[in-house]
Amino acid sequence: MRLVLFAIASVAALSAAATTAAVSGRKAAQVMHARHEGMESIGKAFKALHREFDSASPFAPTVKSSSGQIASLSKQSSGWFPAGTGPEVGKTGAKPEIWLPQNKADFAAKVSAFQKAALALNATAAGGDMNAAKARYADLGGTCKACHDKYRSEMHH
Amino acid sequence: MPRQIPVGDAPLSREAQPVWDLPVRLVHWLLAGLIAFSWWSVHNHHTDWHIWSGCAILTLLIFRLLWGFVGSSTARFANFLRGPRAIGEYLHGRWSGIGHNPLGALSVIALFLSLAIQVGLGLVAEDEDGLYTGPLYRLVSIDTSDKARDIHELWFNVILGLIALHVLAIIIYRLRGKYLTKAMITGRAVLEPGVLPMRRARWWLVFICLAAGIGVTRWIIAGAPPFSS
Repeated sequence: MRLVLFAIASVAALSAAATTAAVSGRKAAQVMHARHEGMESIGKAFKALHREFDSASPFAPTVKSSSGQIASLSKQSSGWFPAGTGPEVGKTGAKPEIWLPQNKADFAAKVSAFQKAALALNATAAGGDMNAAKARYADLGGTCKACHDKYRSEMHH
Repeated sequence: MPRQIPVGDAPLSREAQPVWDLPVRLVHWLLAGLIAFSWWSVHNHHTDWHIWSGCAILTLLIFRLLWGFVGSSTARFANFLRGPRAIGEYLHGRWSGIGHNPLGALSVIALFLSLAIQVGLGLVAEDEDGLYTGPLYRLVSIDTSDKARDIHELWFNVILGLIALHVLAIIIYRLRGKYLTKAMITGRAVLEPGVLPMRRARWWLVFICLAAGIGVTRWIIAGAPPFSS
């Protein structure tokens, strides 16, 4: 049990570390641009999924390709929030709370939950079971909302 | 010394007379509350409540539209929508009556139209994450839906401007001794001599207008079959 807790703590510390290597200048601008584009692409793909799962018979090829896009972008998302890319350096919807010491573990956990949900959806969609995929899609939406409600401001257009 | 005897209808005219019927007042205050609630909910991560609030506003707008044809005298468009000449007369102080004056009527129509546009945009909009959609989002593409949300957000400023104008007018009337808010709460006002009070509508028409409003809203919530499936 103690070993498991230690392993969890290490993983949390490592993923937190991934977001703490501070950047500045051109590098910060590049990261913020990549983050914005990435988030927008995820949003577009999620909207396509919404349309499919809201219909009586989801079109499997669209579900598969959109799920695949979100899964691959989710892997990049670990690198989207280094310190130094907050609203103090440029226009962004990322709230400064992301980089507060007391939120680091929580933020990393939310990013990680998103990544897991994205991979789970992609795996299920690839299997072709649209009912199961719809449930994974709902889980994924929950991870978007959980993080956005807390860490995204409305100044992100 | 002769006794003071009231003559004619004079004392009666100092009593408050009906000017707004209950449906008009309810629509007014419910709209005020729902607009505030819509604003609050969408800015506090309750987009689902925001959408329901918009649907309630839609029901009220449909109801009020119909009530504008069959409602009490002061509720009817035909009685308060007047031409430029009536507005000129009003501005020269040559208007007497109850209900919306010819100039205020323009503000009322602008408010209702701006709300109708706002609801229309909301019906086809979706939030930027694709988590929430207006009931008619399927009628348009993803890009149009996103564009509708952007305009929906901007259009709120138009509504705010019209509300500010509305409230400012009420404050100016109040400074000049006319208490409009009280009349919109109680439905009654003291009329100038010679001005006729409101003629009431047949009460059961309320239910027909309300049923139509709810019916159309439910059909839209269902995605307006058969136009979008």
